[in-house]
Amino acid sequence: MSPLTPASPDLRPYIDELERFADGQMTPEEQDAFELRLEQDEALTDAHAAYEQLTADLRWAAGHDTLRLRLQSLDERMDQRGTALARAHSLAQRRQRRWATWSILGAVVLVLAAGAAWYFSRPNTARPARSWEAYYQPDPGPAVTTGLLHSRPLLSEALDQYQAGHYPAALHSLGRVSPANVGADTLLYLRGLILLREGQGNAAQLYFRRVGETDSTGELVRRARYHLGMAYWQAQELAPALATLRAVAADSLNPYRASARRAVAAGVLEPR
Amino acid sequence: MSAPLAETLTQLRIGNQKALIDFYQRSRHLFARWAQRKHQLAAPQAHGLLQDTLLDFYDQVADGRITKMPGDLRAYLYGMAQLRLAAHVPAHQPLPAAEAGRRQRLLAQFSQLGADCQQVLTYFYFRGYNFDKMGGKMGFPNATVARRQKSACLRKLYELLK
Repeated sequence: MSPLTPASPDLRPYIDELERFADGQMTPEEQDAFELRLEQDEALTDAHAAYEQLTADLRWAAGHDTLRLRLQSLDERMDQRGTALARAHSLAQRRQRRWATWSILGAVVLVLAAGAAWYFSRPNTARPARSWEAYYQPDPGPAVTTGLLHSRPLLSEALDQYQAGHYPAALHSLGRVSPANVGADTLLYLRGLILLREGQGNAAQLYFRRVGETDSTGELVRRARYHLGMAYWQAQELAPALATLRAVAADSLNPYRASARRAVAAGVLEPR
Repeated sequence: MSAPLAETLTQLRIGNQKALIDFYQRSRHLFARWAQRKHQLAAPQAHGLLQDTLLDFYDQVADGRITKMPGDLRAYLYGMAQLRLAAHVPAHQPLPAAEAGRRQRLLAQFSQLGADCQQVLTYFYFRGYNFDKMGGKMGFPNATVARRQKSACLRKLYELLK
């Protein structure tokens, strides 16, 4: 049955004619003559049938192979597309994860920075100093000059010792100074200063209060009032300390006005 | 398939395989899921099975075993795939059919030809190109060269078959 089995006719003697006839390459006369031969020549008829079978099979094979190749090619393209999509998806996910990580890190850094900024820029809530020494403006007393040393050697010695911080010695030296040479108020004032620096606020108050008993308008009285206020404060007598310092703060002529105002404004002397 | 079924069959017979290509593109994923669920087939094997099934279907149309387009092409093709699996037909092998041996032998020899010869014979016998068009496609100087080339390739194939 099959033209390509061993029993099939050999096409080779006829293949040129068969091909020209099948492909329409013959002239009308040649075609008429070939068709007449086909009716009369049995071998040619068999060869023609075998040729037709061959070309039909070839048509099928070419179609089958074409479809196979097209399907394979499409399959590869779809696989590649799927792989590319999966890769793009994975890349997008990785980028998203990286972005999230950086965002979290950024947020943490931001929070830390904000915390640090708040910590370092927060208003200072430390309470104002409550110690009298934090507000005290000491009076070093008159400078010890050569003139003073010659005219009032004992006072000069007392002042020198006071300014050097040797308060008991300064008190002792001051005790030897005659009020007639220096002035009673000056001695009282200096004694009060030395006692105050020595930490004897109660004793210092007595001397400061007595300054200006005869003349209460002089500058020394104004100075003494300030140190009296500080002596009250040192002795923890806050009410008289506040009243005295308020009076100093209100006195525009007092050289310690600014210091007194600062102490009053701090409010540390206010009753709690 | 949007074209009428009868027209699809005619198109397949004259070599227009677009309908089957479209079907594969559209159904590959769904078919693989079906094959995985029903037959525990991995995706690459399922894709191969669908390709073989479509080739079988094409052969049936080409050699006239199918004369009427199935009403539900999808169900018909899935049924064919199931038959292939049940019959344990190896991959890339056609279903047993009349004259398959002769045609398979020709197909095997066809694939032994050079790429140019395969292309020339495909253009002429499958695509139905005339010698002018084939010459243009293949880059031959004229139709006569195309005709001689086709004749030479046909003889080469015939020699391989003998």
